[in-house]
Amino acid sequence: MPDTAAVKKAQSRNERRLLDTRILEPGTGKAFELRKGEVLRIEQAVGNQCVDFNCFNLHDYKEFMHCGRTRTVHGFNPTEGDFLWSAPPRENAMLYILKDTVRRNDVLFPRCSAFLYESAYGFDVHTNCHDIQAEAQREYGLTPDDVHDSFNFFMCTEVARDGRATITRQNSNKGDHVDLVAMMDVLAIPNVCGADIMRTSNFALKPVRISIFEASENDLAAVPNVASMKSQRTPDQFRNAQIKATRELVADPDYVPEFVNTPIEEEQIVLELDEAEWAIFEEHARRDIYGDDHGAAFRDILFSWWEDRFLNAASGAPSTSGKTHD
Amino acid sequence: MGSEDGKRHRLVLSLNQQQIELVDRTIANGFAESREALFRLALKEYDERRGAKADA
Repeated sequence: MPDTAAVKKAQSRNERRLLDTRILEPGTGKAFELRKGEVLRIEQAVGNQCVDFNCFNLHDYKEFMHCGRTRTVHGFNPTEGDFLWSAPPRENAMLYILKDTVRRNDVLFPRCSAFLYESAYGFDVHTNCHDIQAEAQREYGLTPDDVHDSFNFFMCTEVARDGRATITRQNSNKGDHVDLVAMMDVLAIPNVCGADIMRTSNFALKPVRISIFEASENDLAAVPNVASMKSQRTPDQFRNAQIKATRELVADPDYVPEFVNTPIEEEQIVLELDEAEWAIFEEHARRDIYGDDHGAAFRDILFSWWEDRFLNAASGAPSTSGKTHD
Repeated sequence: MGSEDGKRHRLVLSLNQQQIELVDRTIANGFAESREALFRLALKEYDERRGAKADA
């Protein structure tokens, strides 16, 4: 006989409470307030539909999701187990990808825009992710200039050998979904990608379903701790914390630059190597870069060694263990 | 930047204050007793690692 109390307890740990669910029709997007600990599900209602995505700190729109940072930490195709990060100097984990049934997302390509459809296809007006995002964000007082690089869910991209990024067709099915756990209160804005004459969504626009859940205990337990660092700054640490309200850029006559650690000054350090050490050094010295500058060649070896020896995560990715994120 | 003196080869590293901070912090963490010792350790382990990679 199963222990019904234990089964019920296990079920309750897995239980999510549905807070909102709706369909996003082709050509549209919608801003959703997502509180810390809630789960945003982006789901294929038909299949094969790319979903562009913007995200802001709900209490400070100047903090926004940064594809460059996210790409640096997690690569070109972030997926389950990765975070969506905000831009420097905040660099906070905004969302965590808890579940991804397709595992094909993109942070290489920018959002499509009206300019693209006019310049390449001759359209005066065409659905495009920038304008869809702008229209959805307008509900919260944001302007078209506030739309930022999009995280492209269900978008299949590759980097060719010549370095160019390319888009390929996708193969997602009805019900495929991505679940994102909010690490802070955010305004999350998914939109149905407007590209119907590209292979991004297999040459057709389809609806997607958006649902918001209160996370289950197990959902929250699955989110790794994120290290908290001094360098993750807040506006009260800015020398200029005031949001600029005029469009014209005018120099501040009282401005005095305060760059950190300046002036950068070099110290000369002498090192003597014996024959055996010199032979090793000669074997590894990058003469193709540094020529006869032995000091520069050794400095390269020194800090390359340091990276190999002590860098715990690639590309400066913050550790996802250790101190708990507030 | 380098010169040969008998069997000793002399080179001069130019390190800025931030690079020196990292070197000194690594020493303070117990990985070497001096800058010179750390530089030698770096060369040795760099060689071992590259050798190991070449073997792999």
